Amino acid sequence: MDRSRRNLLKAALAGSAALSLSGCSLLPRKSGFNPEQYSAAVGKPDGTFGVSAFGLNGQPLWVSPVATRCHSGCTRPVSNQLVFFERRPGWRFYVLDASTGKRLHNIEAAQGEHFVGHGVFSPDGRWLYATASRYEPGEGIVAVYDAEQNFQRVNTFELAGIGPHQITLHPDGETLAIALGGILTHPDYDRLKLNLDTMAPALILMNRRSGEIVGRLNPSHHQQSLRHLDIHPSGKVYIAYQHQGPRHEMPALLARMDHNRLTEIRFDDETQAGLANYIASVIAHPENDLVAAASPVGGTAVVFQGSTGKLMAKASIPDCSGVQALAGGDFLISSGQGKLVRLGAHQPAQDIAQLPLYWDHHLV
Amino acid sequence: MQPIIRALCASTLAVAASVSFAAAPMDDPQSARTGWHPAIQSGYDLLAEETAQLAEHASRYCAAPDEQLRAQLEQHWRDAFMAWQQVRFVDFGPVENNNLAWQFQFWPDPKNLVARKAAYLTKSDQPITADLIEQSGVAVQGFPMLEYLLFDDALSGGENALPAPHSCAVLTTVTKHLASNSKQLSADWQSFKTPYLNTEAYQVSTLKSAMAALEILEERRLAKPMGLRGNGKRNPYITDAWRSGTSLLSVEATLRGLQQHFLPEFLKLLEQKGELQLAKRIQRQFDAALDNYPEADRPMTVLLSDDKAFRTLQGLYVDVSQLATLVNDQAAVALGVVRGFNSSDGD
Repeated sequence: MDRSRRNLLKAALAGSAALSLSGCSLLPRKSGFNPEQYSAAVGKPDGTFGVSAFGLNGQPLWVSPVATRCHSGCTRPVSNQLVFFERRPGWRFYVLDASTGKRLHNIEAAQGEHFVGHGVFSPDGRWLYATASRYEPGEGIVAVYDAEQNFQRVNTFELAGIGPHQITLHPDGETLAIALGGILTHPDYDRLKLNLDTMAPALILMNRRSGEIVGRLNPSHHQQSLRHLDIHPSGKVYIAYQHQGPRHEMPALLARMDHNRLTEIRFDDETQAGLANYIASVIAHPENDLVAAASPVGGTAVVFQGSTGKLMAKASIPDCSGVQALAGGDFLISSGQGKLVRLGAHQPAQDIAQLPLYWDHHLV
Repeated sequence: MQPIIRALCASTLAVAASVSFAAAPMDDPQSARTGWHPAIQSGYDLLAEETAQLAEHASRYCAAPDEQLRAQLEQHWRDAFMAWQQVRFVDFGPVENNNLAWQFQFWPDPKNLVARKAAYLTKSDQPITADLIEQSGVAVQGFPMLEYLLFDDALSGGENALPAPHSCAVLTTVTKHLASNSKQLSADWQSFKTPYLNTEAYQVSTLKSAMAALEILEERRLAKPMGLRGNGKRNPYITDAWRSGTSLLSVEATLRGLQQHFLPEFLKLLEQKGELQLAKRIQRQFDAALDNYPEADRPMTVLLSDDKAFRTLQGLYVDVSQLATLVNDQAAVALGVVRGFNSSDGD
């Protein structure tokens, strides 16, 4: 990170330090796997990057330094490991000991491929499915690694499309769901979007054993780039878009998969404006019917009822991006300004912590 | 390691404070956009005019090349490129269509794609058509490709140097592409007037675009080539427009463009917020940065290789750096503009 960016971030932190809080409490447990630990890619005030984990007592468990900025990761079931991917274009992923942060593996992308920041394990923790791009032909793939064989690459599934991003596993344990952004990029051209007129984004459902595509659903507009998604234990799939058209267009940015089609969810104009055509994370709460999404561009986080799309809560949190479900029914929102905020449907947003680091996109 | 979390009791009051901070509406924001729209329009109109002249002179030179026409052509490239530098800060709206900004200026170019693509095109047997340029990607379609054809030392010494027919064909076709894009951009900005004025989010887009331009200016166009970042080595080739020796002239044009098209309304916004002193300091700092010219207008290679010349560059850098601090830190806070770690990431 260059110095001015650091200065900018320092200034941002200084600005929010005015919101000094007092007293101490435990962080709420998160819901689901490994509930007493949070992890995320982080940027540090000295300009370096890391992956970090924190316990419920508010103390860092560890910070594992990484060479370049990471994006998101996943926990390996039935083991005590975490995997984090470099930010797109990602040339490697790291396998870390979840208790110590010790780096166990450093896996390079295959020749001609790069990772895009996300992956998910099979329920038994053996197979890692990572979204990736073959960047010369611009082909999206799922790269499959065998965790029991030192993360050897063992298979490749074709997505027949461009720009996959987040991947997750359906509660049936067999179906991968992949948000295909549709945007062609190439490492030679930085993050330049090369095909905005001809994008073909989709939600792809894939059999995780055979790689067979068993479902492909398109959004209502071809510039709705599907980037992030989450699946409720009931099987309801929620997808978040990043709209590539002009800012004054304010289409729906969220969708729910209903009977093999996408039902798009649009809020009132003011809320849509607050989401700024860009959602960075979406999480369906496993304990209830609530879904949360965060937009760092608009500095807005929302909670809505999954089944109806009804807006339940909204908070202005500058640079908010990461979302996690908390035990009890609320959500935890993280921000690039070091904030953790608790947001639920039934009470005002609450600041939980202010940290001298920059939480990167996703809370794991 | 000291604890890096301070786990804190929940405080709704504090969140309420942050909400009002982030969402504080600006005073009469449309009036700023009402001023910015014609200001940027005048910049785009100038770009359209200069690139049209460039295209015309490229055709004239290639039809009957001589030294005088060549000198005029190079001057037209400089004029058009500087017209672009003046509006380069605008990174939203119609300039996003078809990656127009990238088409105008593909940069940074760490893999020297411009030279690789130029080598391919100037040696290729295929006819150079508008379609071919259209399909050849952003590294081919703008000012850096023309700069390569006009100013690259290696090309100029070889058999494909202008006015070699194939190189001339690339030159004239790319200048026409550039002129066409500029004309389109000017027309599109005009059509963009209604949504621009009616959409409050474009207020922050405009502010952030100028802030990003200052950050790029300070960091990537000055600090990095000066060796103030990274490995500490001076390197004139990682800034833009080094082939033509106009890196610093283009810095001046960017500053003048911001001063002319962005600053007046920006100062009014600050004044409306009661930030009269800050507005004055920013206005004076623009003048201070520009006072380094014309002395600083020398090729980056010269400024980096001679200690006395380097001091001139340092003076400019210090002034630009102070300007960036005033605008990107102090004014950003005063106007409630948040430029974040995640919000500028794009994933």
